[in-house]
Amino acid sequence: MTLGKMAWRNLWRRKRRTLITAFSIGFGVMLSVTFTGTGDYGYTNMINAGATMGLGHVTIEPRGYNQTPALDKRLLKAEQIREHVLTMPGVSDAIVRIMGQAMFASASKTVGGMFMAIDPAQDSAEQNLLLRSLVQGQLFPSADGRGVVVGTKMAEKLNLRIGKKLVYTTTDISGEIVSEIARVVGIFETGVNEVDGAMVLLPINSARATLHYDTQDATLVAVIINDQRRAERVRDEIAAAVGNPQREVLTWKQTQAELAGIIIMDKGGNYILQLLIGLLIAAGILNTLLMSVLERKREFGVMMAVGMSPATLFRLVLVESFWLALIGLVVGIVITTPWYAYLHYVGLDFSGAVGEDYSAGGVLVDPLFKIRLYKESITAILAGVFGLTLLSGVYPAWRAGRIPPVDSLKVI
Amino acid sequence: MTHQSIVRLEDATKVYQQGKVEVRAVDGLSLSIGKGDFAALCGPSGSGKTTVLNLIGGLDVPTNGRVLLENQDLATLTRSQVSAIRRDRLGFVFQAYNLIPVLTAYENAEFVLKLQGVSEQECRDRVMGILREVGLEDLENRRPDEMSGGQQQRVAIARAIVTRPAIVLADEPTANVDSTTADALLNLMQRLNQDYGGTFLFSTHDHRVMDRARRLIRLRDGKIETDEVRH
Repeated sequence: MTLGKMAWRNLWRRKRRTLITAFSIGFGVMLSVTFTGTGDYGYTNMINAGATMGLGHVTIEPRGYNQTPALDKRLLKAEQIREHVLTMPGVSDAIVRIMGQAMFASASKTVGGMFMAIDPAQDSAEQNLLLRSLVQGQLFPSADGRGVVVGTKMAEKLNLRIGKKLVYTTTDISGEIVSEIARVVGIFETGVNEVDGAMVLLPINSARATLHYDTQDATLVAVIINDQRRAERVRDEIAAAVGNPQREVLTWKQTQAELAGIIIMDKGGNYILQLLIGLLIAAGILNTLLMSVLERKREFGVMMAVGMSPATLFRLVLVESFWLALIGLVVGIVITTPWYAYLHYVGLDFSGAVGEDYSAGGVLVDPLFKIRLYKESITAILAGVFGLTLLSGVYPAWRAGRIPPVDSLKVI
Repeated sequence: MTHQSIVRLEDATKVYQQGKVEVRAVDGLSLSIGKGDFAALCGPSGSGKTTVLNLIGGLDVPTNGRVLLENQDLATLTRSQVSAIRRDRLGFVFQAYNLIPVLTAYENAEFVLKLQGVSEQECRDRVMGILREVGLEDLENRRPDEMSGGQQQRVAIARAIVTRPAIVLADEPTANVDSTTADALLNLMQRLNQDYGGTFLFSTHDHRVMDRARRLIRLRDGKIETDEVRH
């Protein structure tokens, strides 16, 4: 009879209690999967959506541009860098862009805003939120020409429609004020007011000509990667491959600090909530195990009287909590799998409550509540719940080992 | 009484505090139990029988004096060392059987051997042998709640003697069984004493036990009143 076998049988002496405890552990798994899954899904979506708003998961740009963006800071040979980066592992796309500030004027009004100069041959709706949010007209067909795409809010402010003229004024490579006339060919609506009211898409070659940039130059290369969790590693690899003192390679956490801050805060709150739930469940498990120890005081006294050492008794109770943890995890997996499958594949639609265009940190948030779990999250949840249950068994196990046999036996 | 001493109590005293009252359960008692003894401690309730067994079993420590088991002073040993002595050198038989409810008869008898780390095959041989001795070879797979009181006490005896301990301490072993079973159990223990030279020390009120004991130690107020050796 091994300790494991004995502990297993001990656990089933009170089937109902063991099952209730196992279900509470399983419920803990379910809650943890829900909270962590919400994070894994939601953060990934936010990060990916953020990456398609211009800067990518990883951005290659002139040194200092992130702190003080100015059009006199150029990324030389940006097209060449893009070609190289596209061959690197983990990179799914790389897009050369020029981003800068400008004044936009129509016949009636002038507003300040941002422009993003792109090459339609490189950019796609998949990698650019503005392109997949086109609601009127179309994208200019090439990197040349005078076509522009504006947001709905800016169109409203400047009283613009498809075919109307727009003048943009900015500073060129030498800091001189330059202006260019363009014609609205498309209107987009992302649902984020800051974007729809301030952002304008320009053809990159026309912008280069206006800014007196060389045909290879831009302000950044936005790199889209396969897995946002690898952003730091890909950044380091890119920096090693194409970095030089005039360039820097940054992740979305550096270029979109506001979004990163929101995610960190949300994650922190999520962890605290999970910890509190975990502690509540652990208290229940501790109570169960302690009760089961105290009601077996006499039995433990007998075991010690016949020669079981306190250390072995400690191990016995710990093995009981090991089995309990294992049963709890199995129950957890069984009850969580259908719940996870529903939330992963179907999800809960909250658009009625928060609207279709709910945004956080300047990034659109999907009102459809879905969850997903990364492998490392699954491992962390299983290990966390398992560890917490084992930990809950330590005090009862210690108490068992401290029971004086003479007190528990009363008479031998 | 034989000459080779297994257990010695030297001027042992055990004082309990019951509220504000001091109770002298054992009062300056000196006693020696020899190898092969079949001895019984008797006396009225509160005379100190159980306390003496607790002291010898290392389940309790004397307030004063010494308890020596095979010349080792139990008070000088750590908890783990005392556990090891109980595992290797002592056998216990309890009034209420005190078998481990989740284990079968075989596993209960095997329990201490497993703690000693005896190999599977040797465990099997020794446990089956002892279960045959106590007449339970057919009930090896029964759990305590599937056995009668007498059968459980036989398993308890098997558990106590399977390790060939230096001494078996038996607290009122016949108190919870009928007279036929009590006689059978006593026959069994007497046979084990005679055939294998096992040392037995009982605490008892039962005249059947006292009648069969070769040494009868009467206690009163924690002291030895008489110590009678019979032949």
